[in-house]
Amino acid sequence: MTTEPEQTRQQVTTTPVDVDELMSQVADGDQDAFAALYDAVAPRVYGLIRRVVRDAALAEEVAQEVLVEVWRNASRFDRARGSAAGWIFTIAHRRAVDRVRAEQAATERERRTARASVPFDDVVEEVTARLEQHAVRRCLDALTRVQREAILLAYYRGLTYPEVADRLGAPLPTIKTRMRDGLIRLRDCLGVSWR
Amino acid sequence: MTDVHTLAGAYVLNAVDDLDRAQFSRHLAECPACTAEVAELTETIAALTPATAETPPDRLRAAVLARAATPQLPRETRRAPRRNAAHWQRWLAAAAAVVVLGGAGAVGYTIADHSRSGTQSAAETRRIAAVLAAPDARMQSVASGDGRVTVVTAESQNAAVAVLANLPSPGPGHAYQLWVIRDSNPRSVGVLAAGRTDATELFSGVRGAQAFGVSREPAGGSVDPTIPLVAELPLA
Repeated sequence: MTTEPEQTRQQVTTTPVDVDELMSQVADGDQDAFAALYDAVAPRVYGLIRRVVRDAALAEEVAQEVLVEVWRNASRFDRARGSAAGWIFTIAHRRAVDRVRAEQAATERERRTARASVPFDDVVEEVTARLEQHAVRRCLDALTRVQREAILLAYYRGLTYPEVADRLGAPLPTIKTRMRDGLIRLRDCLGVSWR
Repeated sequence: MTDVHTLAGAYVLNAVDDLDRAQFSRHLAECPACTAEVAELTETIAALTPATAETPPDRLRAAVLARAATPQLPRETRRAPRRNAAHWQRWLAAAAAVVVLGGAGAVGYTIADHSRSGTQSAAETRRIAAVLAAPDARMQSVASGDGRVTVVTAESQNAAVAVLANLPSPGPGHAYQLWVIRDSNPRSVGVLAAGRTDATELFSGVRGAQAFGVSREPAGGSVDPTIPLVAELPLA
């Protein structure tokens, strides 16, 4: 991950624009605002999708669907229920996961085995390395191993919690609970609130 | 509700199948506390996205903006009525009043004070209210110097509210830290700002825990609590 020039990282990780404000203009059909919104969120949307679907061409296709969906459904976004960025990344992740699962269903076990065999440590290492400068890194480190792996496997591999349980050799209720506990701990560590 | 509720983490991670998702969505519609939790966990996950950000090919921008020339879906004409802040504050006041009747003047006073001064987020205030209003909420209190430490535990929500009131000063460069103790293992659930002697803190993960404790630590907190604890209360 250190192969990427520092400048690119800076560029894609800072968003001085107010995504919520842009979103409300987009909901009014403002195409300039949509272009600005694209610039603000596209790197994070594309990067997240690519991480999940693991193929650049497919990521591009899914990202396009997601961003067009954001435009088309802009008026359905409800500020009272969360931030615009949170809403957009939720859609992006959902579509990426849907795609991975559709492909999995198509090629059944074979695909599933292939997906599960990608070394998981790579995901953790790569993600945490990029988070070096972020408070998120410290907060992820503060989770228990099971909490951290359950969250990262679900988020970046698109696994369901039964699949995560299977992968980590832990009982279902444990994994379900660890995902929630872990996210709550992450939330408290990051001081996240949405109002 | 408890069993469905634990699905909140898997739900925001999209780690559920369609059946789970539908079930949890129905649950959300009738559980304001869960809606708030889902919103916050969604924001929490969004905080991970800079880690994987990557500049997409330029042609993606062109393709997306070209398609944005197509019409948008119309606004929904009807929105579900939203509970407003006043609603929550009434609930909070009622909950606080109940606790006062229960004999903990400190709790009622401190929380009412917080809701007025707005030092806590609306979501946190709601969660505190939900703990206080839980049918199984239990309150315990212990004196510490001239002050008092009170904990209201709602096992059904796996959460508790601790109220520290008028504790002695922790001393220069020191702070109070809160712990949940399970099977003799203390887990930090919060560190107050250095020198702070009053606080209302919400924390989770109380189910199956035996005790709650407050310790005096160097500012910023410690990995393990300094013994003896300033205050300790049984949770079980």
